[in-house]
Amino acid sequence: MTQAQPGKPNCWDFMACGYGPDSTSPCVVVSDQDSEGTNGGTNGGRLCWSVGGTLSGERELAEGARTGNCLVCPFFHLVKSQEGPAFQLFKLARGVRDSEQLQQTIASVESLMAIHEGLRSDFDLGQTIRDITEEARRLTGAQRSVVLLLRGTSPALHGEMPLRGQTKSVVISLDEESAVGFAAVHNQIVNLHHIYGRQSPDGVPAFNPSYDRQCSCRTHSFLAVPINDPEDRAIGVITAANARKGFFSSDDEWFMEKYATEVALAVEKQKFVQQSVAVLRLGAIGETIAGLSHCIKNIAQALRAGSHVIKRALKTNNLQDVRAAWEIVDRHIEQLADLSMDVLAYDPVVQEPSKKTGLNPLVEHVVGLFREEARARAITLAFSPGADVETARFDHLGVYRCMVNLITNALDACPLSEGAVTVATQRTGEHEFMLSVADNGPGMDEQTKAAVFDLFHTSRPRRGAGLGLPTVADIVNRHNGRVEIDSRPGAGATLRIFIQENVAVV
Amino acid sequence: MGPKAKIMVVEDNLDEAKLIKMVLEGEGYEAVCAFNGKDALEKVQSDRPDLIVLDVMMPEMDGFAFCSELRSSPENEHLPVVLLTAVAKHIQDSKYPLNGVLRADAQEYLEKPIRAEELLETISRLLS
Repeated sequence: MTQAQPGKPNCWDFMACGYGPDSTSPCVVVSDQDSEGTNGGTNGGRLCWSVGGTLSGERELAEGARTGNCLVCPFFHLVKSQEGPAFQLFKLARGVRDSEQLQQTIASVESLMAIHEGLRSDFDLGQTIRDITEEARRLTGAQRSVVLLLRGTSPALHGEMPLRGQTKSVVISLDEESAVGFAAVHNQIVNLHHIYGRQSPDGVPAFNPSYDRQCSCRTHSFLAVPINDPEDRAIGVITAANARKGFFSSDDEWFMEKYATEVALAVEKQKFVQQSVAVLRLGAIGETIAGLSHCIKNIAQALRAGSHVIKRALKTNNLQDVRAAWEIVDRHIEQLADLSMDVLAYDPVVQEPSKKTGLNPLVEHVVGLFREEARARAITLAFSPGADVETARFDHLGVYRCMVNLITNALDACPLSEGAVTVATQRTGEHEFMLSVADNGPGMDEQTKAAVFDLFHTSRPRRGAGLGLPTVADIVNRHNGRVEIDSRPGAGATLRIFIQENVAVV
Repeated sequence: MGPKAKIMVVEDNLDEAKLIKMVLEGEGYEAVCAFNGKDALEKVQSDRPDLIVLDVMMPEMDGFAFCSELRSSPENEHLPVVLLTAVAKHIQDSKYPLNGVLRADAQEYLEKPIRAEELLETISRLLS
C-alpha cells in the first residue's frame, strides 16, 4: 500500500470519514488492492466512486463513507481536475482498458458529466431535457427515450419525443397499473422485456399500450425510472424503449438513475432561476420607483418654490422675480416631460418594429433638432456621415432615441465657451455599424464611466433624471450591440454605440 | 432674531438653491448660497449665518458629512440646521434614512417637495 502523494489526498483524508487504513475499517475502498495507484491513490482511495463496480458504489461502502451522487461530490471533482487527461474514471480489469465497448462507455459517462457541468451555467430547461434524453437513449442503446414530468394539477405525465424530424407531445396518465405510473407512484424502477410475448407476472405493472399508440411504434423492452425532487417526491419518469440488445441491463438502470438525477437537478435549477428572476424584477421595480420618486420630488420642489415666488412677486408687481422664477419653473416642466419620455423609452416592452430607413438622414435629422440650441450656447455641432451605411437596417425609433440622448448629454457636457460636439456614423462590419458622439467637455474618470449606465445616475441634477444612458444601453442591447466610452478627465468624451444590423428586416 | 437673520442655503441644484433664496429673501431674510459641503464649510466661517438650510444628497461632501464637520467646531455646535431630502421617509435602509435628523444632529428634517410656507414656519420657529 503506497502512501498518499503530497497534495493528492485519498477519499478518507478528504472526507475525514474515520474509515482510513488506520481504522478497523469495513470500507472496501481502503482494502481494494486492485485499484492501488489509480489516480495516484492508495488502493481505491482516489477511485472510490468506482469501487464495487459502479460509479457511486454506495451499497458496498461503509455507511457514512459516502452518500449521494458522486457527480456532485467535491472529492470526485478534485481528483478529476488534479489528474487532468490522465484521470481514470473506472476501476478496470487489466487488459480491457482499450476495448471498444469500454471506450464507448467512458465516452457516455463523460457526456453525463458534461451535462452535469452544463447545469452549472445558464441553461434552457427544455434544451437540457432534450440533451439528457438523447444521451440516455444513446447510452442505453434504446430506440427512443422520453422524459415525462408531472405538470399542472392533472394527474398525468407530459413529455416530448422526436419523431420523424418533428417533436411529438406525449401524455401518459398516472395510472399505477401501468409501468410509467407505477414507477412514479411507487418510486421504483420498472424494467420490462418481451412485453407482447407474455403476461406480466403478478406485482409487475403492465406496459401501457397508449404509449405505443402515441409514439406510433411497438415496444418490446421498456425501462421506466422515477425522477425525484430533493424531498424524494416523484416529479416525473425517464423512460427508454426497445433496447438494441433486447433488454435493459442493471447497468442501464444505474445510468438512467443518474440521468433522472440530472433531470431533477435541472428542474430545481429552473425553479431557482425563476425565483431569482422574480426577486430581481421586484428589486428593479422597487429601485425604479424609488429613483423616479426622487426625480419627481426634486422637480415638484422647484415647481412649488417657483409657484410661491411667482405668486408673491405678482402681488408686489415684481416682474423681474416673476421672470426669474418662471424660467426655472419652465425648465422643470420640460424636465418632467423628458422624464416621462425616458420612462416610456426605458420600458423594455415598448419596441418599435425596424424599418428600412437611411441611417445618415435619420442622424442628420436628430442633429438638426439640436442646431438651434447649440447655436444659442455657442457650441459647434458637426455631423460627419459615413459613406457606406446607407444600406444599414436597424430599429428606427431606437436609434433616434439613442442619438437624442447622446447629443443631449454631449451638449450639456460642453464648456461655456468653445464647446464642440461631433456626431459620426461609420460601418464597422458586414452587419455592424457605429454611431459616435464626441464632446470637448470635462471628461469622465473611471468611477463615473462605470456608473453612467446605472439607473438614475446623473452628473447634471439640474436637467437629467439619469434615465438617458440606461435607455441607450437598453436599446443597444436589444440590437446585440455594445456601447464604448472613450474619456479621460479633462479630455472630453466620445460615446460609441455599435449596432448589429437586423438582417431579417426587408 | 428677526427677519433680517442670515440664512445659508446649501444645495447642489442651482435652480433649487436660487428659488429657495428667492423665497427667503421675499420674507426679508438675507440669504447666501453654497453649492456643496466643502464650499459651505468655508462660507460658514466667512458669512457667519444664523441658520443653515441643507440638502442631504450632494456630491463631494453630503449633508451628513457636512453636519458632522460643522458640529466639530464648538462655535457651531448650536447653529440650527434644517435638512432637506427627496428620499421617501418610509425608506429605512437608504443611505439617507429617516433617522437623518439624529445622524446629522440637525434640528429639522423636511421631505421634498416642501411647501415654502412650511420651510418659512420652521425657520421662524428655530430662530425665535
